[in-house]
Amino acid sequence: MHLLETLKTAINALLLNKARSFLTMLGVIIGVFSVVTLVSVVQGFQNYITDQFSALGSNTVIVGPGGITTGDPSKAYSSNKLENKHYDLLKLNSSDKVLAIAPSIRLSKDATYKTKTYLSTIFGTTQSVVDIGALNVDKGRFYTDAEDTAKARVVVLGSEVVKQLFGTRSPIGERIKVEKETFQVIGTVASKGSSFDDRIYMPIKTTENAFNLTNISSIVLKTKNAGDVDTVIKETELILMKDLKKDDFTVFSSKDILTSINNILSMVSVGLGAIAGISLLVGGIGIMNIMLVSVTERTREIGLRKALGATSGNIGLQFVIESVLLSVLGGLVGLGLGWLATFAVQSFVRAEVPWWAIVLALGFSLTVGVVFGTYPAVNASKKDPIEALRFE
Amino acid sequence: MSAIIQATEVYKIYDLGEERIEALKGVSVLINQGEFVAIVGKSGSGKSTLMHILGLLDTPSSGEVIINGTNTKGLKEKQLAKVRNNEIGFVFQSFNLLQRTSVLDNVMLPLKYSNVPASKWMDKTMEMIKLVGLENRIHNKSNELSGGQKQRVAIARALVNDPALIMADEPTGNLDSKTGDEIVKKFLDLNAQGKTIILVTHDEDLAKIAQRRIVMHDGCVVEN
Repeated sequence: MHLLETLKTAINALLLNKARSFLTMLGVIIGVFSVVTLVSVVQGFQNYITDQFSALGSNTVIVGPGGITTGDPSKAYSSNKLENKHYDLLKLNSSDKVLAIAPSIRLSKDATYKTKTYLSTIFGTTQSVVDIGALNVDKGRFYTDAEDTAKARVVVLGSEVVKQLFGTRSPIGERIKVEKETFQVIGTVASKGSSFDDRIYMPIKTTENAFNLTNISSIVLKTKNAGDVDTVIKETELILMKDLKKDDFTVFSSKDILTSINNILSMVSVGLGAIAGISLLVGGIGIMNIMLVSVTERTREIGLRKALGATSGNIGLQFVIESVLLSVLGGLVGLGLGWLATFAVQSFVRAEVPWWAIVLALGFSLTVGVVFGTYPAVNASKKDPIEALRFE
Repeated sequence: MSAIIQATEVYKIYDLGEERIEALKGVSVLINQGEFVAIVGKSGSGKSTLMHILGLLDTPSSGEVIINGTNTKGLKEKQLAKVRNNEIGFVFQSFNLLQRTSVLDNVMLPLKYSNVPASKWMDKTMEMIKLVGLENRIHNKSNELSGGQKQRVAIARALVNDPALIMADEPTGNLDSKTGDEIVKKFLDLNAQGKTIILVTHDEDLAKIAQRRIVMHDGCVVEN
């Protein structure tokens, strides 16, 4: 029997039991849908994090509280010993390999303009953050070091804060309130990704004064060349150890943190993929179950086909093709649904279906069809024509 | 007249552990081209076993069967399937049509396992459907047909590959007498056109239509 004819026969057999064929495919549909969706969402998170860190650049060194990368970050911040004087210390002692240094304080606070309130990130820092973060001041201006020293009550707003508080109006010259303090908006920063856009940039000394703080969250150093990062890390550690113990601070590069986050996400991806793989396996078992039922139901048909000239090979191939059709069609539907789900979450994370996930999902569903279809097919092909014809 | 079937000293023994059943005990039969032969016998006489062996659906424990000049002894499963497809057309008591499948597809089925080019399938199928007078029902599903129509589809299917012989196992067993007579007439017509027909039945009256009777009893041919 020609392959095309066998394919037609298999399609007809599946169409005879449409509901059952669909329910059998459902296992594979769910399996492939979960694999594709999970992989694309994790990929989306990876894209997001990579974007955030690439905004910082590969020549960035970060000083954070002790234990931030090894222990519990919340404890690290509660026992934080980093202060603005350490920023001054680094500013004075760093070598010429360091291009710019900026300290930062991050606070989550409600900002209010007239009746509108928006939960934003107060980002207390110096003017050098403009170079380090490659910020684009699109309206007004950024505050100066003199304003910082003078603890001036001025702020520069991220694009999302502008949108939420002012809509399409220009905020320049307007006054916003954070807690009981009032600040004048002197500039705005162009959009640079979600974690940047909800920031309210404020001179660091103003921040310390307004919110009565002594500690800073981190210090960011930008090196002249990416190759200087390791030297600057060592140099920074030596400088800070003049005033702090080794455990009181952590110095790391943006590359380090990106690598470790990517490692974690890869592990999460593998873990989720394995769970989704199990559902695909269950789908495969479902196919095998139904194919075995189908072989029993169609025993007389098998006997008849053999009596009319079908070989065991013809019969086996017909059942394998039926099983492969079920799993591959299920795989394609699952892939389509996964793609739609990816499309639906794109407004939250930049999720995308990587090409290897498509190959993996379709390859896996094809394998499931062949592996789980072979046993029923062999069962069918081995049927004795006489016994099969007599089967009630 | 040339021999279509030549079976020599055919034994069929079922070894069921403690019990050993000899279903055929050295049966030899010769059936010539164009004959209408009835194999008759009571239930358990071995007539169905003989038909299965002559139809290559089963293999003998010993002895040989030559079909249209091909000695089937030692043939592999694939080769046996080819001989079945080319040389034998089966008509069963319970019709054995593919369920919920059209008359056209049921009749065409043997062609799909043959070496006949696909371009000729439709013409050959339609020719046989016309022969059994079902050309107005080609798209009807098998479950939409009466018993007599089903058996006519089965006859068309048995003829579509132009086999050397037709084997019919109790072909009127599931039909009322009027429809049964129509089917009998169809077999007589086919025989008149030169087809070799082997009819297996326990019905002595039906067997009378054949030119020759092979009577089986207890695994042996007692009248030939």
